[in-house]
Amino acid sequence: MSDHAAPHDSAGHEEHSHGGLGKYIAVFAALCFLTTMSFFTYSEAWPWRDQPQVGWAFMMAVSCTKAMLVVLFFMHVWWEANWKYVLTIPAAMMALFLVIMLIPDIGMRNRMVSQERALHMARPADLLLLKEAGTAGPAAEAH
Amino acid sequence: MSSPAISIPHDAGHADGHDDHHGHVHLQYQPGLPLSRGKLIMWLFLSTEIMFFAALLGSYIVLRFGAAIWPKPHHVHLSEPIGAFNTFVLICSSVTVVLALEAAKSNKTGLAKIWMVATFVLGGLFLGVKAYEYQAKFSHGIYPVAPHSRIYERPDLYYGSAVRARLGESAIIERLKEIDEMPAESLSAEQRAARTSLQQIRTMLGDPNQQAFEMAVVADQIAPLPAEGAGGHGGGHAHGINDAFPELQLPIVIPGGNMWASTYFLLTGFHAVHVVVGLIVFAVLLGYTLGPKNAGMIENAGLYWHFVDLVWIFLFPLLYLF
Repeated sequence: MSDHAAPHDSAGHEEHSHGGLGKYIAVFAALCFLTTMSFFTYSEAWPWRDQPQVGWAFMMAVSCTKAMLVVLFFMHVWWEANWKYVLTIPAAMMALFLVIMLIPDIGMRNRMVSQERALHMARPADLLLLKEAGTAGPAAEAH
Repeated sequence: MSSPAISIPHDAGHADGHDDHHGHVHLQYQPGLPLSRGKLIMWLFLSTEIMFFAALLGSYIVLRFGAAIWPKPHHVHLSEPIGAFNTFVLICSSVTVVLALEAAKSNKTGLAKIWMVATFVLGGLFLGVKAYEYQAKFSHGIYPVAPHSRIYERPDLYYGSAVRARLGESAIIERLKEIDEMPAESLSAEQRAARTSLQQIRTMLGDPNQQAFEMAVVADQIAPLPAEGAGGHGGGHAHGINDAFPELQLPIVIPGGNMWASTYFLLTGFHAVHVVVGLIVFAVLLGYTLGPKNAGMIENAGLYWHFVDLVWIFLFPLLYLF
């Protein structure tokens, strides 16, 4: 692996060792803390027990924070030159796009129903039979 | 921070020779980006890996949130604390590989080797815990692929006939005879209760004069699915026939279980393969002197390892906590 830029890599940056032990330990402590935080949704103090989506969003936010810490400090991206934006900004755009696409189309697809879908959607078989027999109760009207 | 990407790095060896060559075209190698080829390639490779895992994770999310029903963690013997411990192990290994790199750059080759060995050991520990988790699934009949996987989605006629077929196998008939003949003192309380259930099930499934019954009763005797998980993994889950006599390996009912097993084993399996590759890379690196000359190699191996940790950071909440 001999290439011209190798000496550039090890001696080219401002400090000899970027992070220093202290910074790495601080990031490690933050990561451990965040990992325990992801269990916070299981505790008694979590206020949004009836809305699991809040819990999921919280866990994803925790994961993204942990990921950012690993990428910035352990993978040294904090100290890299501007090429890192070429890498990260399109990736972040794709990630955001994916989430924006998936949540309404997949995550919420059972919440809202167009009239056409409502007309053609399947009904429980026994309700159909009851309706034919003319003895369907108020439950049939709700569908 | 260095200046825009296309300028020549100020400390690359040729900078001081540049001014001496005014009347003479002296072509120099200019890297397109201020990073080494190896690092550039590693980042490009990591972006393909991101695409790989994004595809798998995306399909997991679609399947999980599109599923009519999904098993609770204690139904499939999934333990969140073990997953959290694995996360902690991988985070520690990320720290040790970074410390190995720093030691190598400071020419502390002995220390670098120690940190590298620590990373290797922690990676191996992760795999060991994963193997223990897989064993917990396998021992309860949860495999990625049917028919090895004994999971049925509903306690219907197909499930009933599968249980009856299993009870009719010659090896199982022998074992059932042995169980019936064991004196009550040699069995634990759980096994005695299971033996009674087993006899009831055999009557229900085999007796031609049996009255109509709910197949769910059979499923509940073999592998009960309590609403609340009592205690931790292994210690507190409800016990059925498959727990008292695991060698019988009767089919079980876990609604949503097959989809769960497919996605779980696929995601964690591919991640484990990546961990193994990382460990092979570290094993090879341990053969070198870990000094400043090899710091580039260590950095790139470290980049790959951090990526493996990154994937786990996302896998852990999605698989264990959602």
